Amino acid sequence: MDEQTKGLGNAELWGGIAWAAFGLFITWQGWNQGLGELHEPGSGFAVFWCGVIMTGLAASIIAGAVAQGGPAIRSLWAETRWQKVLLVMSLLLVFGFFFEQIGFIPCALILLLVLMRFIDPVPWWQAIIVSFGGVVGVWLLLSKVLKIQLPAGVLAPWLG
Amino acid sequence: MDVISSLAHGFFVALQPYNLIACFAGVFVGTLIGVLPGIGPVTAMALLLPVTLSAPPEAGIIMMAGIYYGSMYGGSTTSILVNIPGEAASVVTCLDGHEMAKQGRAGPALGIAALGSFFAGTVAIVALMLVAPTLANWALKFGPAEYFSLMVLGLTLLSFLTHGSMAKALLMATVGVVLGLVGTDAITAEERLTFGRLELLDGLGIVPVVMGLFGVAEILANLERKVTRDIVKARIGSLWPTREDWNASKGPMARGTLLGFFVGTLPGGGAVISSFASYALEKRLSNHPERFGKGAIEGVAGPEAANNAAAGGAFIPLLTLGIPPNVILALLLGAFIIHGLQPGPLLMTQSPDVFWGIVASMYIGNVMLLVLNMPLIGMWVQVLKVPYPLLFPLILMFCIVGVFSSNAAVFDVFVMVFFGAVGYLMRKFGYEPAPLVLAFVLGPLLENNLRKALILSRGDFMTFVERPISGVCLLFAALMLIIPLLPSLARRREAIALDQE
Repeated sequence: MDEQTKGLGNAELWGGIAWAAFGLFITWQGWNQGLGELHEPGSGFAVFWCGVIMTGLAASIIAGAVAQGGPAIRSLWAETRWQKVLLVMSLLLVFGFFFEQIGFIPCALILLLVLMRFIDPVPWWQAIIVSFGGVVGVWLLLSKVLKIQLPAGVLAPWLG
Repeated sequence: MDVISSLAHGFFVALQPYNLIACFAGVFVGTLIGVLPGIGPVTAMALLLPVTLSAPPEAGIIMMAGIYYGSMYGGSTTSILVNIPGEAASVVTCLDGHEMAKQGRAGPALGIAALGSFFAGTVAIVALMLVAPTLANWALKFGPAEYFSLMVLGLTLLSFLTHGSMAKALLMATVGVVLGLVGTDAITAEERLTFGRLELLDGLGIVPVVMGLFGVAEILANLERKVTRDIVKARIGSLWPTREDWNASKGPMARGTLLGFFVGTLPGGGAVISSFASYALEKRLSNHPERFGKGAIEGVAGPEAANNAAAGGAFIPLLTLGIPPNVILALLLGAFIIHGLQPGPLLMTQSPDVFWGIVASMYIGNVMLLVLNMPLIGMWVQVLKVPYPLLFPLILMFCIVGVFSSNAAVFDVFVMVFFGAVGYLMRKFGYEPAPLVLAFVLGPLLENNLRKALILSRGDFMTFVERPISGVCLLFAALMLIIPLLPSLARRREAIALDQE
C-alpha cells in the first residue's frame, strides 16, 4: 500500500498540476490557431475545446487530491529499481543519437550487450550469442528478405 | 445465397498461397506474443505494421488480424502454466487454470482453453458474416453527426470501463484526441501543434506512439522489480478433457461465446471485459461457487470462449462502421488506412476481396490455431523458459527496428522513447494509456465529423441531439458521465474496474 499524504508530496496533486498546465497550453495553442465561426469552425476549434476540457478535468483531479490526498511521490518509487529504468532510458536516447552515424549493427550490438550485462546480468557467453544472433538475424531478415533498409553506418563499405 | 457466394470468393482469396502464409505468420506470431509475458498484441501489431507495407493489402490485413485473435489463444498458456497472463484478456484464466495445473491437470486446462477458443472463434466468425452486411447497409444512413456521437460514445464507454478515476481516463482520451490533431489540418491545410518541425507535418505516427506507451513503458515498469516465473514442473499429460470436464464446460463455453460476442461488438468493449464478465456469470450460475479459484474447469472454459468470441465480434464495428471498438483494432484501422483502404459500410462493396478474404482467413486461422495450440504446447513451454533478462533487450531492439522501419526516420525513435517515458510515468501516477491510444486514432475522424456536422447544420449544435441515432448515443454517453457522480452506482463501477485490474 502506498503511503498517503495531503501535503505537497502528493502525487495526485502534481499529476493534476502537470496536466492542467498542458491543458492551458493546448487551449492557448487552439486560440492562436483560430476558432473560426460555429458554421465554419477553424483549425483551432477542436484543439481549443480539447484544451478547455483537459484543464477542467485536471482541475477536478487537483480538487480531489487536495480534498482526499493521494500517494506520496516518493512511495511510488520506494523499493523499486528506478536506477535501472533511468539507465535503460538513457541508453535508448544515446542509441537514437548514434543510430544513423554508427549504424544499426554496431549500435544494436552494444545496446544489447550493455542491457544483458548491466540490468539483470546474464553470463557473458549467453549475452554474446544472443546479441550477435539477434542483431545479425534481424538485419538479414529486414534487409535481405523484407527489403527494409537499416542504417549501415561505419559498416557501409562492407554491407553495401 | 449471396453471403455463401461472397464467402466462397473470400475462401478463394484467403487460400492464395501468399495470403495463406500471411495468415499462418499472423496466428503463429500472435500465439507467440500471447505466450510471451511482457509483449502484448498491441506492441506486436505496431511492430509488424511496417512489415506488412510491402505486402498486398489483403495479406497485410489478414496477418494483422491473425496476430490479434492468435494472441487471444496463446495468452491462456502462460496463465495456466506460469500464472502470468500473456495478455490482459487471459488474466482471469490464471485463477482456475493455474490451480488446475498445480493439481496436475494442466493438460485438460490447456485442452479446454484451446477447444473453447476454437469453438467461440468459429461461432463469432459465422455471426460476423451474418450480421456485418445488414449493419453495413444500415450504416449507409449515418451522417457526420452520427459518426461523431458514436465515437464520443465509444471513448466515454472505454473511459467508464477503465479502472481507477474516470476523470483521469477522460483526460487521457482528450489528450489522445489532441495528439491525433497534430500535423496538417485536413480541411484548411494549416499546420497545427507542429512547432516548426517538418517531421510533424503528417502528424505523430501511430507506431512510435503505441510502441512507446505500451512496449517501452511496459518493459520499464517490469524492470522496476525482478521478474520471477514459477513454471509448473509436473508433466502436462493428455490435453484431451475427460467426459466430466466436457459436461462441466459445455454450458460455460456456449454462454461465454454469446456474452463475449455481444460485449466485443460494443464500442469500448473487448476481450478483457468479456472474460471477466463470463467468469462472474459462471460463478453466479454455479451450484458450487466455492470451487471457483480452486481449479474449476468452468472458470477456464467460459472466459477463454468469451475472449475469443469478443475478438471476432470486435471486427463488426470496425468493418461496418469504420470505428475501432478497442485499441488493438484501432491499430488495425491504421493498417487499413496505410494500405489505402477505408473500413466502413462501403468496404464490402468497394473491396470485397479484402472484406471476405479477412472473414474466410479467420476460419482458416482458427483451424491453424487449434493445430498450433494442441500438439505444439511443448514448444510454447520451452519459449516460456527464455529468461526475461535475455528477452527484454531483444523486445527493445524489435521496438526500435519496427519504429525506424515504419518511416525510415530516427525522429520516430525519439518519439517512441519520449512516449515510453510518458507511458511509464502515467502508470506510476495511475493514468491508463488505452483511452489515449484509441482517442489518438479516432481524433482526426472525430474532429472531421464534428466540423462537417456543424458546417452542414450551419452551426446548429442541436443537430447532434435531434438526429435519433446521434441523440441516443450522446444520451448513453451522458449517462456514463453521470454514473460516477452517484455514490451507489460509482461503487458498482469501481467494483467492475477493480476486477479488471
